[in-house]
Amino acid sequence: MVLTNKFRVFASVLALTVSLTAISACSSGNNGGSNSNAPATNDSGAATEEAKDTITALLPPVSANYQSNFDQMEADFNALYPNLTLQIEPASWEDITQKLDTQVNAGSPPDIAFIGSDGISKYVEQGMLMDITMAAIPEMIGDFDPVPLNYMKNGSGLYGFPAYMSIHALGGNKQFLEEAGIDWKSVQKNGWTYEEFREAIKKGVVSSGGTTSRYGFVFATSGVTAKDYLNILIKNAGMPAAFDKDLKYAYTSQNYLGVLKAVRELIDDGSMPKELSSVDAGKRWNMFLTGQTMITGKGLATFENSAKTNNKKIEAGDGAVEGSVPVNYVVLPVPTFGADPVASAAVDGYVTFRGKKEPTEEHKVNVAKAAYYLASGKIAATTNTELLVEQITDSGRTAAESLDVERDPDNAAASQRLQSIASPARPDIPAELGAEAIKLEDEVIIPKFQALLADEITPEDMFKVLKEAAVKAFGEDGVVTD
Amino acid sequence: MMAQLARTVKKRIISGDGGAWAYAFIAVALVVFALFTAYPVINAFIISFQEYKPLGSTYAGFDNYVHSFDDELFWKSIKNTIVYTLLTVPVSLVLSFGVAILILPLKKKLQTTFKAVYYLPAVASGVALSVVWLWIFDPLQTGILNQLLAFFGIGNLNWLGTSATSMFSLVLMAWLSSHGTSIIIYLAALIGIDNSYYEAAELDGASFSQKLRHIVIPFMKPTTLFLLVTGVIGSFQVFQNAYLMTGGGPDNATTMVGLLIFNNAFKYFEFGEASAQALILTLIIAIISFIQFKFLGNDVEY
Amino acid sequence: MALFKQHTDHKSILYIRNGIIIVVLFAFALATLFPIYFMIISSFGDPIEAGAASYSLWPGKFTLASYKFFFDYSEHSYRWLINSFVVAACVTVSNVLFASLAGYAFSKIRFRGRSVLFAVLLCAMMIPYQVTQVPLYILIVNIFQMENTYTALIAPSLVTVYNIFLAKQFISSIPTEIIESAKVEGCSQWQIYAKIILPLSKTVMAVMAILTFMESWNTFFWPFLVTNTMDMQTIQVGLKNFRFANTTYFAPMMAGATISAVPMFILFFSLQKYFLEGVTVGAVKG
Repeated sequence: MVLTNKFRVFASVLALTVSLTAISACSSGNNGGSNSNAPATNDSGAATEEAKDTITALLPPVSANYQSNFDQMEADFNALYPNLTLQIEPASWEDITQKLDTQVNAGSPPDIAFIGSDGISKYVEQGMLMDITMAAIPEMIGDFDPVPLNYMKNGSGLYGFPAYMSIHALGGNKQFLEEAGIDWKSVQKNGWTYEEFREAIKKGVVSSGGTTSRYGFVFATSGVTAKDYLNILIKNAGMPAAFDKDLKYAYTSQNYLGVLKAVRELIDDGSMPKELSSVDAGKRWNMFLTGQTMITGKGLATFENSAKTNNKKIEAGDGAVEGSVPVNYVVLPVPTFGADPVASAAVDGYVTFRGKKEPTEEHKVNVAKAAYYLASGKIAATTNTELLVEQITDSGRTAAESLDVERDPDNAAASQRLQSIASPARPDIPAELGAEAIKLEDEVIIPKFQALLADEITPEDMFKVLKEAAVKAFGEDGVVTD
Repeated sequence: MMAQLARTVKKRIISGDGGAWAYAFIAVALVVFALFTAYPVINAFIISFQEYKPLGSTYAGFDNYVHSFDDELFWKSIKNTIVYTLLTVPVSLVLSFGVAILILPLKKKLQTTFKAVYYLPAVASGVALSVVWLWIFDPLQTGILNQLLAFFGIGNLNWLGTSATSMFSLVLMAWLSSHGTSIIIYLAALIGIDNSYYEAAELDGASFSQKLRHIVIPFMKPTTLFLLVTGVIGSFQVFQNAYLMTGGGPDNATTMVGLLIFNNAFKYFEFGEASAQALILTLIIAIISFIQFKFLGNDVEY
Repeated sequence: MALFKQHTDHKSILYIRNGIIIVVLFAFALATLFPIYFMIISSFGDPIEAGAASYSLWPGKFTLASYKFFFDYSEHSYRWLINSFVVAACVTVSNVLFASLAGYAFSKIRFRGRSVLFAVLLCAMMIPYQVTQVPLYILIVNIFQMENTYTALIAPSLVTVYNIFLAKQFISSIPTEIIESAKVEGCSQWQIYAKIILPLSKTVMAVMAILTFMESWNTFFWPFLVTNTMDMQTIQVGLKNFRFANTTYFAPMMAGATISAVPMFILFFSLQKYFLEGVTVGAVKG
């Protein structure tokens, strides 16, 4: 009978099953013990003074070497406050929000998470942020520059400490700019108007026989990055925030329509590719390094470093981006639309969360200590130096003195100029209004703007749709009319 | 003996004292199911009637459902999902059935090679592959697909960037990947057909197409039903493609209902509404599956 | 005898037919293989930073630097592979065993509530995981406090509805007469399962093993959610660490993806012989 033979095979499979299950049981037991206290940290505020406390922090790779320093950061913090333990969870940039949001929905977020300050209003609305106004001592508050610190506020609450303020500017190829006869030094100092910009990038185009080998300007607009492009433009058209000083929705102003028209003009001129709507961040940087565009955006200070690195590889003849040419990166401001120049600023920082149970005062103080520790001094100095962004704390500036930064002096000066006109935070905008504006941006502005870039809708039609949606959301009196 | 077995159609289920054993056999599955599937599902059901907040939800009645039904984007995303499903699932079934049939007559070594070759794409992680696909769909002249078009004298397309082409791009991506699973399942089923059936048919002088129609296709019914039902379920929940490739754009042309639910649950923290939409979606899939069972589910007779 | 004519008398027809089939299969394979091909050749490039990674059809350069970079990047690279293996192996073994048991019960044994229970299982499978994920997270992390353990990684997928459904569909085509006659001979249900169903279902079990292992190995989000230290992460979670703000370590990411595909390939080849030979009912009947 064949059966017996087959049964023997099965018996051995079963034996393997049992043994494997046993192995898994052992390993899970071991790991369960060491970490079982982790999720409860939010609730376990210290009962007595100097009681032991654990602070959890969810942190992305802020800079290239940031995550490799986690062990050192934990050890140093423990040395500073022997009763406190800092427990850092790593997460990648792409996934950190998803993990954090799941934890927030589950009511058990980490104590500290590194996120963009634009996310604060949405967590405030959920009631899951922890106000550290009372927990932060004046020495901590006073260490920060007021503009970036304000980005961490919402209403009267302070929900963490800023790590840096990064300016979203444009970046140019020095050689191409000069070939096109553009006085980039003057632009760095005095800025440029939309008309000047439009003419300048027209001159940057190189084409023959209907195919363009070099564009004047390329911005990453694929997917949700489309909003970055629109936002840096409208900030320079007299609308630094979604609401004006009287808390009226600003994007119904005629100036907004002007920007939308300009976006189409630049593409129709041939200065920007007609396929702009699916150019992503990687693609446009590739185009910049390979000489397929004169100007790119958004430009971050750290791009100067990336370009330099690639130049070195070209020189060494090893490992450079294929087809790339030596590039001198020039920091350029965003053109203005008949309004004062405003630099788009993105403030990221260490935001403080609470769990289901009301946190004790001691726990708040401990979390504030940890957030301050991460956002200032040595950690801030090394990280921000690596990112080529300005220090925003006094302690960071002191600590950074010993670190030498290799920076193009013109770019450094231009960056500082932009830093000084950074758009201020608007903690006066109530959380509900802010959330409504974000929803409008996601549901109306981004989809329609994508359609505008793809030439599927006219600027006038998009403006009309937005206006109707805005009136529906905020009422006739809640929006700007001019 | 075999011929007799093949011709008799009897009750498909053994009767009698199996009950207790049956419960024992499904016990582990049920416990795992109750804990890790049923419990979260019941929770989601409760949440769908709430204005969900992590620190204390409030009862909202049918608000979430009413709001979903009023939401244009919800219907648009359902429409997108149905279009995507209709374009991908049947094609995938036919392709994988065809490939599985074609692999059969080959020599063993070739069989193994082709099985491996078709299984290979299923192995690679979706994230790594999406990076490659982004390059294939590169909008400029240098993109792979655009170079192919240029070869035929057609100008370059903005694949993922326009409403007209973005959905087709995602469908094309589905056509050219991820059949490995279905092919392997079909192959396993094809090999399970006992040779005696073919022998009997050949004695009656049956041709290839007659064998295909009267033996293979009826025999493939349970497998096809399985692949169809799970394929439709998977397609209705599709999320990653749109999330990684287009983010749902442009102008929501590729916003699938899975992506919308995800956005509501996490981006906007409308967890109650997301749950309501998920349950509506489940109802739709359940009805579709019920129809599929109705037409394919009656047990095979051979 | 089989579905296809053997053409024993006309060898040339056989060769031509098979030749055409091979060409067709190969052409379609090329299209589906392209992304994999690209993944592998890119992994031999330089580990350069920047999303500016140059795309080319032919490898401009052959270096193992990215593989070295992958293992040097984090001290946990090996650990990620081991974690993935432990999790995937446990999930696979338990799925094959329990799903085939349940599949047998649902397809061949009559018991009260059979169809209702099965319908409930199927419906649960239709609910998008986006909404069950938070309650599941609450259950595992807040209630069971199993965060950062193998149990948390393994338990939710011990046996999946997908596999039960797959097993049920396959076992349903095993002739009931065989089972009936075994019962007449005095076999208990367990013996029927062990001595008849299992040997006859080895094809589908091999398929299930491969698919389950692959699914578990490729899962990203759940392990990402429930782990909070590098040493408990799986390979898919670890791989994601190669992506930074505006830059990606492109070649090392592809190297990682290639490395992570290798175990699944080994598994495939070690199990593939089970789909080569058909299971013959006659052999069991003896």
